[in-house]
This record gives sequence, structure tokens and C-alpha cells, in this order.
Amino acid sequence: MNRRHINLIAKKEIAGLSSEKTIVFAILLQVFIAMFSSFLMVGLTAMYDPESIEGYSTVTYRVGYAGAESPLIDQFAKRDDLILYRMDLGEALAALRERMVSAVVYVPDTPPDAEDPVTVTLYLIQNDLQSGVVNVKIKEVLQDYEEQLREIRADRLIYSPVELNFPDSGGGESFFEFVYGLLIPLLVFLPAIVSAALIIDLITEEYQRQTLETLLSTPITFTEVIWGKIAACEVLVPLQAGAWLILLWLNGIPVNNAMAILLHVSTSGLVLILLGALVALHYRERTSAQFIFSTALVVVFIFVMAVPYNPLNLIVRLAVDSIGPTHWLVLALVAAATALLGWAITVYAHRVGEKSP
Amino acid sequence: MSLLSSIRTIAIWEIKRSMSTMGKGILPLAVVLLLLLVLVTAFAAESGLHLQDGMYRIGVDDPDTARIVASDTRFVTYLDDGASLRENRFSYDIVIINGEVYAVDTDKGRAALNTLERDYESYVASVAAAEPDLFAAYPLWIDLQYVKSEIDFLATQSGQQVGAPVETKRPPTPSLPVEEVTPPSQGKLTTEEELREHLIESGDGQPLKRYTSLISGESTTDRLLTPSELSPPLPFDTIILVFVFIFPLYFTSQFFMMSVMNERVGRAGEALLSAPVRQAAIVVGKALPYFTIMILIAAAITLFARAPLTILLPLIPVILFFLANALIIGMTSRSFKELSFVSIFFSTIATSYLFFPTVFANTHVISIVSPLTLVVLAIQGDGFTAMEYLYSTALFFATSIILFYVGIANFREEHLFSERRLTSRVVDFISTGISRNHPHVSLFLLAAFMIPFVFMAEMLTLVLFFNIPMPLSLLLLTLTAAVIEEFAKSIGLYAIARDWPGFLTVKNLLIGATVTGLGFLVGEKLLLFATLAQITESIFGSILFLSLQALWMPLLLHIAGVLITGGFLLLGGRRAYAPGIVAAGIVHSLYNLYFIGGVLL
Repeated sequence: MNRRHINLIAKKEIAGLSSEKTIVFAILLQVFIAMFSSFLMVGLTAMYDPESIEGYSTVTYRVGYAGAESPLIDQFAKRDDLILYRMDLGEALAALRERMVSAVVYVPDTPPDAEDPVTVTLYLIQNDLQSGVVNVKIKEVLQDYEEQLREIRADRLIYSPVELNFPDSGGGESFFEFVYGLLIPLLVFLPAIVSAALIIDLITEEYQRQTLETLLSTPITFTEVIWGKIAACEVLVPLQAGAWLILLWLNGIPVNNAMAILLHVSTSGLVLILLGALVALHYRERTSAQFIFSTALVVVFIFVMAVPYNPLNLIVRLAVDSIGPTHWLVLALVAAATALLGWAITVYAHRVGEKSP
Repeated sequence: MSLLSSIRTIAIWEIKRSMSTMGKGILPLAVVLLLLLVLVTAFAAESGLHLQDGMYRIGVDDPDTARIVASDTRFVTYLDDGASLRENRFSYDIVIINGEVYAVDTDKGRAALNTLERDYESYVASVAAAEPDLFAAYPLWIDLQYVKSEIDFLATQSGQQVGAPVETKRPPTPSLPVEEVTPPSQGKLTTEEELREHLIESGDGQPLKRYTSLISGESTTDRLLTPSELSPPLPFDTIILVFVFIFPLYFTSQFFMMSVMNERVGRAGEALLSAPVRQAAIVVGKALPYFTIMILIAAAITLFARAPLTILLPLIPVILFFLANALIIGMTSRSFKELSFVSIFFSTIATSYLFFPTVFANTHVISIVSPLTLVVLAIQGDGFTAMEYLYSTALFFATSIILFYVGIANFREEHLFSERRLTSRVVDFISTGISRNHPHVSLFLLAAFMIPFVFMAEMLTLVLFFNIPMPLSLLLLTLTAAVIEEFAKSIGLYAIARDWPGFLTVKNLLIGATVTGLGFLVGEKLLLFATLAQITESIFGSILFLSLQALWMPLLLHIAGVLITGGFLLLGGRRAYAPGIVAAGIVHSLYNLYFIGGVLL
């Protein structure tokens, strides 16, 4: 193989990408997603961890209280974001339907030290954003009340759990785990998947448009053509992943070990690209190749995620800076797998090239 | 041949052809992959997902404490004596010495602390669940009841905060008559054994578990809960179903896109085009198998999720919309890679348009913009009215039909096999729509047909700016709406300037601008009165559709806008198009802002 030939092909493909302005779409896409980022943050974090939405509300909510007198009233009194109103149950529920109160609790007259549990009925408005917030706030009150009741009934317990004293953390910071543990690996890996789809397009197009013959009439061999295309796709991976990291950084999300992350993404991305190239060489037709590749991608991803110390996990660990030099070992392993696949591609391409010039 | 029988012929031919190109090579490998998928899923279920392994480092001085986090792979645990832990405390995110928890004061430290607190909670719960006296360990149980709110959201429509409080000491008195309610019975609703059993089951708090159980139709509301089991009833829950429906449909539409593209590659479709059938029959016939498959897939998912079959109704326009866009993208892309990128781009935008409004499914009237809101409503068991169906699907039906029409009209050799750029091909398509004999009638119709697309784009901006603070969001909305409208109105003139420059005289520009403005206004009013009356009631709507009040003012505005852009085109040629749109957009915004000023002040 001649490196200059490979370079030539890679340059041609990248020039093709930029002249077709397809790369513009890729950039637009990133900007578009970044524009939605605030919405994404709120929406997706809430999907991941519903309790985080509590932080968005600075409003006080009104809660209707019906039923018997209980220590729960004092628990509510401790909160300044919930105002409790003693009401008749029917009246309270009518007020809830009209959204004059945000929730209604009904407390039975079970004494705190009874044999039976205290069964509180909590009425909320069905499937509603506000109910979500109120739910979290009332949950905290009820948990405190549960603690209080547990203490009253403590002499009936036989096991004692290990005691831990937590510092006062002052509210949840639950963006962190979502952003670093889910969003960053997904965003950073997106370019690798896009590039793998791209190699299929590039290879099948030569077959379906019958442009291969013209290309092969030059001194460039088939294997060099394939490797040139692979190189063009591979270059895009760190570029786009790096753009994500910069966008994240601009959004106030600093990512540690950016260089190492880019190395990991580029290596794993190359595995995907080589897989895509293999599928494309086999089918030589876009619909079949893309279909098989996307199905295979799902299989590969589920498998990889189930393996400890997988590249996605390493990106998470690197991003939060909690891994030592161990990740280099995994990188070396992935690189070895890439080399193996690369060898397979070379042999396969060579054979294909011999058969049909 | 009649149209119907030729559609049938084409459809059968399409199925046969895709079977022959796909069938032989794909089936064996697809079966293998499916088997692998089952195996891999089983492996993943066995081994767990290792995405967030080792995010936090925790130093512990006691093996019993270490056991609390042992099952949580997010922690890497280091066991050491107290003194050396204290010394090296900065290499850990959390240290626990003698039962005292210390966390580093960073985002990461706080996140680790949060996770630890949750683990500790579930540890305490697991200890308590083993207590012989369950009701001493769990003295409090919650019976969660949902109430449907009967009023609609006039407050949120005008952009107010949800549930704004009124500080009073007196309890609120409902305005509607109060029904007598019997207090809930205090008999044990469930036996102690059952409660204990579900405590053990729900021990592991996987964040994604509630979504998987949602699809399998498990419900948590029919039994008693402990306080820590209360999880918010977010509208986001049903969103997961949206993904379950949309992705398979989108995936299938890709095959149609590819089939259209394949006709163009190497002029393969020449034989088809020379067949004695109308273009409409070719396009509809080709689309029909995919439409049927998509309906079948949607129905299968519906049955699997045990959801009501009525949710297929709002999915039909979505399917049509996907197919129509697949047709246009397949017809305009120059190469496979362009096809990929454009379709990824389109899918992101379409998904956001479908997805984001649904977040407000129960809180804001805006949500009805997306047909998927109807799906959510139907799954909740609330159903939807024919009027709501019309509101949320009209734009999808209208755009799909127009796109199909454009596709059919341009499904001709000179357009299918041309090698021009994407944007210029789109202009080609528009140019086809402008008749040389009746250019003014064409401009009028074109402007009217642009309306559904303009509305869709404006709706998207509305969703986009939804959570930006109020005055800024209004300003942005006004600006983008103006630019979108000016662009839509002038695209016909642009096509003329490119393909028929001789037409562009001062006189023709004046007439053209007038008919365009008129067409735009007519289309706008028709669609508005037919469908969007509900949205126009909100303050956001009044900005987008400000021009409802008096008719001659907006007409003048629309004409002026086209004249400005047209003037730029006339004087500066096509290069002046972009500055022209900006200039027209500014004039348009100023007009709108003046009116909002009048409305608000």
C-alpha cells in the first residue's frame, strides 16, 4: 500500500464532504442540540432522576389537610415551602380539582405507637408537572414523619443498621451524575457512530454508481481506496468529539482528560468504522449494509456495556478524573482488536480487488 | 390502466424488488444477529450495565460500612485505617471515619454524597424489611390517589407560573359545589406478607427501572407505598412510549427513502418512468408497502404495550409525514452521504418537534401541537376529541400532502437524474411549481401552500424559546417568526430570479408581491380559523398570529415584506437575497413589536 495514494483518496472524500455541504448539516445538528441543551438538561435529568426537578421550584405550595390531629402537622410546619390548611376532606378534594391546593393528605386517627401502621392517603393531581414537584416536597415531609414514628416504635425493632452521619449537603447536585455518567459518553460517541455510517455510504456508493472502475484505472489499488475512505471517516471522529467537548465546556461543563478521551473515542470509533467497512464490502448495497450494520451496532453496544472497564465507562471515569493509568491497558487492547480488524479488512479488500478489478 | 390498478402493480413490484435485493443476503445474517441480540441481552442482564462504574472513590475504615456500597458499582471502595484515610483524604471523593461521612466540596463530591445517601437509605430499608415486626420498621404507609383536575389551564396559557401561590392564612374555598366524600377506609388494604414481599423486590433502586416497568404495563398506584417509594408522577413517564413508537417508524421510512434514492442511482428508474403509468401511481405505489408496514408495526407495538388502538389515529399523520419527507430527501440528495446527514438532521428536528411539546402533555395547551400528545393522552386513558385531533394533526396532514404533491410533480427524468446541489434542487422543485403561463396564480398558490411549513417552523421556535425568560423569548420569537415568514414568502421570487430573470420587472414585482402577500394571508387565515384558534388564545399565539385582528394591515405588511426582498433581488441579483430577507425581517419584526407593545402596555 502506498501512503500517498491513501492520502489522496482521504482528501478526495473530505473535499467531497465539504463541497456537498453535508458537513454543514452535521455542524447545524450539533448547534441545534446545543440550543436545546437547557431544555434537554431539565427534561432528560428529570427523566433520569425525577427528584431533581424540585430544585426548579421556588414557589410555596398549598396543601390541604384532612382527618385526625397528628404529629404530621408539626412536620409540615417546619417547611416554609408548604402551607398547610386544615380542611374538610370533601372540600379539600374539590379545592384540589380546582388547583387551589396542590395536594391533599388525609390522616387517620391511628395512634403513633399502635400495632398497625399509620396509613396516610395522599391525593395528587394526575400526571402533571406541578404534582411532580409537590410530590417530592411531601415525600421529604413524610420521610421525616416515618423517622419520627420509627423512633417511637424503636423498642419493637431487633436489628440495628450501621450508623452513618451525613454532613449537611444543602440540596442535591444531581446534574453531575447524569451529565458525566450518561450525556458525555453518549455525545462523545455519537461522531463515531456517524462516521461508521458514513463509511458504508462511501463504499456502497462506489459500487452502486459504478464509479469504481474509473477510480481503479488509476495506479491506486482497491485496498488503498478502502483505506483512504477509512482514513477520511476516522479523521472526523476526534474533530466532532472535540467539538462536543468544547461545546460542553462553553456550557460550563468542564471535562477532564480531554486528550485521553479523544484517543479512546478515536480508537473505538475506528473499530466501528472498520466493522462498517466490512459490512459494506460484503453487501455493496446501501440498504442492506445499513440495515445489517445498525442491527449489529445494537448488539455490539449492549455487549460492550455489559463488560466492565468498557471504553464508554472509561470515558466516564476519565471525564470525572477517577481512573489511574489502567485505561491505557484497555486502550492497548482495543487498539490490538483494531489492528486485527484492520488486517482482516486489508485481506478482504485485497481479495475483492483481485476478483473484480 | 386505471390509477388504482397501476398503484397496485407498482406496489407489488416494489415489494418484490426490495425482497430480491434485501432478502437473500440479509435474512440469514439478520437471524444470526437476532439470536446474538437475545444472547447479549441475557449477558447484559446477568452482568449489569457497566457505564458508570468507578465514578467515585470512597475511603472507609470499617468493613461493615464498606458493605453498604459494595453492590453499587459506581463506587470504588478503599479500606484503610482512619489515620491514613485522614491523611490522604484529598485522593477520595468521600471518606467515612467512625461513621462520620466527609465529602470533598466539589460537584463531584456532592454527587457522590447524594449517591451514598441513597445507597444508605436502601441499606437501612433492607435491614428494616427483615424485622419481624414490620409495622415498627415501616410505621407509615402511603395510599396514593390521583385526582383529575377539571379546569383547563387558562393561567398557564397566558404564560403565568404553574400554581402561583396566594399568601393567605385562610384555607381556600372551592367555587364549585363540594361533594360529600367518605374518608378512606383504614382496614389493612394489603397483608403484611405482601408488603414485605414488595419491599424486598423494590430494594434495588435502578433509575431506569421505572421506565422499563412502564412499558411492560406495571403500575405502582394500586398498592400501598412507603414514603421513600413515592416517585413523582411526571408526564415524562409516558414519553418513553413516544420513543418506542417513533423510532421503529422512522427506521422503516428509511427504507422508502433508500428505495427512492435507488431509482436515481445510475438512472435505474428510467424503466419505471417510461412505464405507461402516471407519476402519482409510481410514488403512491412505492410508498404504499412502507405505509402498510409502518401501520402494522405501530399496531403490533400498541398491542404489545396493551394500549388502546385509537393511538394509531394520531400516528397516521406522523407516518405520512415521515414518508413524505423520506420521498423529498430521497429525491434531492446527491449522494449517499448527503442522504445520511440530511436524514439524521431531519430526524432530530422532527423528533424534537414531536417530543418536546409532549413534555407539557398535561399542563399547557401548546402540547397539542404534537400528535404524540394525543398518544400520551390516549395511553393515560383520557382520550382525545375530534377537535383536538384536528388541531394537532392538521399541520402534519397538510405538509405531508403538499410534500407528496411536490414529489409527484417532480418525479420526472430531468429532476430525478440531475446532479445539482441540494439547495438548488429544492429551488428546482419550487420552480417547477411556477407556471410560465400563469405565474401570478402560481405565486399566490405557492404562498398559500407555504403556510403549513411556516407554522411548523414557528411552532418549533416556540418550543425552542419556551424556557427562556419572558421578555427575551418574546423578542426572539418575534424576530425568528418574521424572518421565517419573509423567507417563505420570497422563495418563489427567488426561484423566478434564478430560472426566469427576464420576468423580474418592476411591474411584475409589484403584482407578484401583491399576489404573494394575498396568498400568504389567505392561507394563513384559512389554516388559523380551521385549526389553531385554541393556540392563538395564548399570549405566545398572539405574537405568532398577531395579524388576525385587522385584515388590511397584515396584507400591507406581507406585501411590503415581499417587495423589500424582491427589490433587493431586482437590484442586487441573487446575491442580495439574504440581506433582503434580513431587511424585510426587521421591518416585519418592528411592525409586530409595535403591535405587541400596544397589546402589552
